[in-house]
Amino acid sequence: MKIPLPHTNNLVLLASLCGVAVTMPQKNLAATRISTSIFQADGPIKGRVIDNTGAGLPGVNVVVKGTTTGAQTDADGNYSLTAPDNAVLVFSFVGSTAQEVAVGGRSVINVTLQPDSKALGDVVVVGYGTQRRADLTSSVASVKEESFIKGATKDAGQLLQGKVAGLTVSTPSGDPTANSQILLRGTATLNSSTQPLVLIDGIPGTLNTVAPEDIESIDVLKDGSAAAIYGTRGTNGVILITTRRPKGNIEPTIEYSGYVSTQRIARRPEMLSASEYRQQLAGGVAFTDQGSSTDWIKEISQDPLIHVHNLTFKGGNGQTNYLLNGNYRYLEGIFKKSDNRTFTGRADINHAMYDGRVKINLGILNTNNRFTTTADGGSFNGYTYRQAVIRNPTAPVYNADGTYAQQLSLFNYENPLSRLYNSDGENTFQNTRLNGSIVWEPIDNLQLKALASNTRYNQIRGYSENKQHPSTLRDGLNGFASRGTTQIIDKLAELTASYNRSFGEHRFSALGGYSYQQNTAENYFMQNWDFPTDLFTYNNIGIGNALRLGRAPIYSDKTRWNLVGFFGRVTYNYKEKYLLLASVRREASSRFLGAKQPWGTFPAVSVGWRINQENFLQGATFLDDLKLRVGYGVTGTAPDASFLGVARLGYTGYFLSNGTWVQTLSPVSNPNPSLRWEEKQESNVGIDYSVFKGRISGTVDYYLRRTNGLLYDYQVPSPPNLFTTTTANVGAMENKGIEVLVNVVPVQTKNFVWNSSFNFSTNQNKLVSLTNDLYTLTNNFFNTGYTGEPIQTYTHRIEVGKRLGDFYGYKVVDVTDDGQWIYETKTGERLPYSQFSHSEDDKQVLGNGLPKYYAG
Amino acid sequence: MNTIAKSLRVSVLAATALGLFNACTKLDDESYNQIVTSQFTPTSQDVLALIGPAYSTWRPLYLEFNGVYRINETSTDETVTPARPNGWVDDGSFRRLHEHKWTALDATPRDAWNQSFAGITNCNRVLFQVESGQVPVPTGKEQLIAELRVLRASYYYMLCDLFGNVPIVDRFDVPAGFLPEQNTRKQVYDFIIKEVTEALPLLSDAADATTYGRFSNKWTAQALLAKMYLNAQVYTGQAEWVKCIAACDAVINSGKYALEPIQANVFKTQNEGSKEIIFAIPFDEVYATGFRVHMQTLQPQNQATYNAQASMWGGGICAIPQFINTYDPDDTRLRQNWIQGQQFSSSGVPLVGVFGAFTGKPLIFTNTLPGIDNSAEVDGFRVGKFEIKQGVRVDLSNDFPLFRYADILMMKAESLLRLSQTTQAADLVTQVRRRNFATAAKATVTAADLLRGSVYQYGPARNNVVSPVEGGADIQYGRFLDELGWEFTAEGHRRQDMIRFGVYTKKSWLSHVPNGDYRTLMPIPQNVLNTNAKLKQNPGY
Repeated sequence: MKIPLPHTNNLVLLASLCGVAVTMPQKNLAATRISTSIFQADGPIKGRVIDNTGAGLPGVNVVVKGTTTGAQTDADGNYSLTAPDNAVLVFSFVGSTAQEVAVGGRSVINVTLQPDSKALGDVVVVGYGTQRRADLTSSVASVKEESFIKGATKDAGQLLQGKVAGLTVSTPSGDPTANSQILLRGTATLNSSTQPLVLIDGIPGTLNTVAPEDIESIDVLKDGSAAAIYGTRGTNGVILITTRRPKGNIEPTIEYSGYVSTQRIARRPEMLSASEYRQQLAGGVAFTDQGSSTDWIKEISQDPLIHVHNLTFKGGNGQTNYLLNGNYRYLEGIFKKSDNRTFTGRADINHAMYDGRVKINLGILNTNNRFTTTADGGSFNGYTYRQAVIRNPTAPVYNADGTYAQQLSLFNYENPLSRLYNSDGENTFQNTRLNGSIVWEPIDNLQLKALASNTRYNQIRGYSENKQHPSTLRDGLNGFASRGTTQIIDKLAELTASYNRSFGEHRFSALGGYSYQQNTAENYFMQNWDFPTDLFTYNNIGIGNALRLGRAPIYSDKTRWNLVGFFGRVTYNYKEKYLLLASVRREASSRFLGAKQPWGTFPAVSVGWRINQENFLQGATFLDDLKLRVGYGVTGTAPDASFLGVARLGYTGYFLSNGTWVQTLSPVSNPNPSLRWEEKQESNVGIDYSVFKGRISGTVDYYLRRTNGLLYDYQVPSPPNLFTTTTANVGAMENKGIEVLVNVVPVQTKNFVWNSSFNFSTNQNKLVSLTNDLYTLTNNFFNTGYTGEPIQTYTHRIEVGKRLGDFYGYKVVDVTDDGQWIYETKTGERLPYSQFSHSEDDKQVLGNGLPKYYAG
Repeated sequence: MNTIAKSLRVSVLAATALGLFNACTKLDDESYNQIVTSQFTPTSQDVLALIGPAYSTWRPLYLEFNGVYRINETSTDETVTPARPNGWVDDGSFRRLHEHKWTALDATPRDAWNQSFAGITNCNRVLFQVESGQVPVPTGKEQLIAELRVLRASYYYMLCDLFGNVPIVDRFDVPAGFLPEQNTRKQVYDFIIKEVTEALPLLSDAADATTYGRFSNKWTAQALLAKMYLNAQVYTGQAEWVKCIAACDAVINSGKYALEPIQANVFKTQNEGSKEIIFAIPFDEVYATGFRVHMQTLQPQNQATYNAQASMWGGGICAIPQFINTYDPDDTRLRQNWIQGQQFSSSGVPLVGVFGAFTGKPLIFTNTLPGIDNSAEVDGFRVGKFEIKQGVRVDLSNDFPLFRYADILMMKAESLLRLSQTTQAADLVTQVRRRNFATAAKATVTAADLLRGSVYQYGPARNNVVSPVEGGADIQYGRFLDELGWEFTAEGHRRQDMIRFGVYTKKSWLSHVPNGDYRTLMPIPQNVLNTNAKLKQNPGY
């Protein structure tokens, strides 16, 4: 029910005492004032504040005008306070036009706030809670469902492609089983993954844990002050995925969406065609014309079919509601025998009890996946593509008798189609997540929450090569098979308490919590060969002879780590002008077991100044919002393996003793008791702006990230060290950049809104140092990367003072008429192959693979 | 009473809270696949497992892909890794070895350094554990310590031979950040002699399965001493021929060893227990892998010759024709040690070529080689000294002899020769040669023979033409160097022998021309210099 406000009279007040709100014609305020003097008693008032879509607005300030008495709405928009009957309540919420409502003796006052600028009213998901966009003091990007990339999307990452300044989303492979890769604000670490922490409704997962069609919004915590609440997992930023949730009263609804698509290679490598190859032969190149014309890349390619179906049921009421989602994705790849099929089902049930004081949420998510493999344990085998690229275009695919044409005595040279069609394999996995949470509000404004989840990932693999595969025809394996399984169980428990309070123009919130995560991974695989038959592929692995003869490997391992964290956060808002956020997380990881410092402390502080709220800008009515933000936060990274701090022994080899082979117990790494967290300190300065009722809005951010104690496998002297590298905290790296986001609404009518969003970002990376207190390198670089066969050399040099991603090698600039490479020396001299000395000193930086700026 | 109950309740509550807190903050510490040393108390049953790593490093040190074997063989006048139709250019390192243009960044010196010091550090670690009692050795502790000292000295022998000026580190419990000081080659030499000499009396007299593959008996230690004394002039400038003879005599007089009636017996697949082997690095196709000379030297087609379980890699090591030309055609070692001529499948079908002009033509290994940068699949004789059994795998099971009885006899012969006891030297050489010739007359070498130069036709060779001819007649005791070449081909001896006879950096062969006398030492690897500022690069680099 909507009450036209703000003007009421005392009749309304009388009526509302009876618990009925009646719409009354408007009267003059003078009458109100007179009547209020009659009723002086303080009375309890409660109500709900909603936005123009009917959704409850949390965090709305409700203040008794002229006093410091006030309250704030809860997550559903409900509030309660005590005020004199003649008081006037001021409802203010950033991004909405403030309203004044006379109490007029009522005990229930419901209010609808109209947005003055859409963006500012948005609720943004931050770590362990939400904040209004207007209250943000750090760099958080929020992408709602309506702004997602539409059309064929592989995973949640692709929904964000080009949507968030500073966030690079790339799809490095056409393999339908590959995820998109995400890089936020450059590379801040050397050893570890640069993938951000992905939380799905607060629970760790990956970009494809839930189907993109099942996602309501994605929030990206970009800077350190926002991510620091996640401590040691937040260095690469945090992506908070909120799935579609049932809310309030819902008519039982069924929604279906789906699409069908295909893919093409947009640009393929230019290889000699058979006729071009023959021209070269005629020109005297000593290769062989084998009489056919084969486009090998085309031979291994297909026109893929992709179809995706999404079905959602939801229903319920304010007390109990539910959402059920089913999603099926059938993806074929652009190469033959590459595909991926995924079915994900999810159920989400909410129940509120005791007047909404206790809320329970239960969720179950189950994913079943299956894909074809033509590699042992993997999906599509890249080696097949390589064979297609290097194969003679005049070579036939088949012999006259229908078998695959081979030249297997040529080194590492295999018919790519024989590899595809004489191998057979399948990976399947199931991912099941059970989660539940209970929220208890023992008193107003205090919420206690317990959340627990258990995610179990089970994979089983099978792969075989029949007796027509090169592995038998050439290598004599006589049929090959492999099986493997992986299980990963991730358990999470989190307890949080949050409290919000307003005193007049002061508004603050506090959050405290504890988090425990444990991850157990187990792997097992076996290979076998020398089979009596091809009939059973990989399904009857025991009948091969190789294992029996001690030739084939069998393997298993198990690892477990846990992460324990305590965290707290306070926010403070004064006069809607001055904003403060401070948080700290103290965290320990079992990765540091045996090291001196398993615990790390990760603080953050950020402040905001809403300049447009200042008096001197009150006249600038075109300005909806202008906010300056400054933040600083520390996050950490743990090494990728456990027990690096302590000496360990492994059974790694054999020793002949008196005619018997004895298994040896050998150190497996140089222990480093000084191992500690890699720390990233990030400063961020930003401006949020919105003008002309939100027609133009956006953000500008500048960040400076410095990673200290970079974890890397550093070169150490041997002797005295047994191994030449030790995982240690050495060196520092810096990333800095600017991010600009502009949202424009060129057309806005009642029925039509045209939104456009532009973003631009830069990233500058620099390795600052490569030393620590124990060991110092006499040089200031190291080489990394590897070309693999047939070239076999390193590809990159990482040097102090320079940025990551520098290719380093001989610079070839041209080819002589007789086909010899022409090199350019460091001094710019051009030399043909025969005169170029090819020494290490002749290598130079060839370029850099990382873009200097990004736009979207 | 009430108070007690109350305080009890409080303490139970507190204990529960504390227990909960501990449970909530406990870090998982279970290691499922490796032993955390601090959670492990070794018993005497673990001793062999713990000292094993100190030995097993010898395998990669000598024979991994870029092991010492590649330096000692393919940087010499005996074998080479030429560019092949299927590759073998890699990063140019094979060519740099042949042309003596390697750098401090090459993998060969780097791996030799790292593996040698890994062996030394493991010896120091185990010595520390045994001496401190961390690893209990109820019986034979003194003997085990002596053995480990000789083993450590054997790694230093590799370092002394290759790098010369290396740091001597003889303890494990060094402070964090410790950087060892560099020692001179003379100091390293003295250290090895001292260590072996001190350990010698404590070592075993046995030469059987209990000492096989180990430095645990006196004779293996004596063989190591003989090697050191043989090269003393190179290592220190001071010759020790008399001491070398004494060490050799100790081995000879032990009566534990003998020459095999035919040389091939020493290199059989199952060669453990050969009376000629004094110290071998044990290899096994299942347990101790890494010996892959057949994979590197043969063509993929040769898979059919041996019913091999993998396709060979296409000619990574082959003979330099000038070296093959030095053989007496009647020397059975020419045929035994080198795979040559028409290649057949195991059922006798002639194999054919697969590349370029040789496609479909008979695969005949010929004693030809156009140059380091160019070769066909037929060019060059291949290493056949080590038996390649039918059904061979990627890894050979043949143990690799580092010291053998023929070596002792030849070391003694060379020392005698250099002490001008030429007739006695000739007798010993004849003794070694005898099994390789049909007649005694052919086998016999005279004192006069030994004083001749080398028959090696040194000089740069392009497309099988040597020009200009440098020859070998001017090499002092050149004939003896030839004898060493014929007997110890493909055993990783050649570099050391050529240096001792002053040929390594003086003569030309195939595509190699002299590139500086400093090349008798390898450069200290760049990554080692990067991490230890106290080390100075060897002169010339």
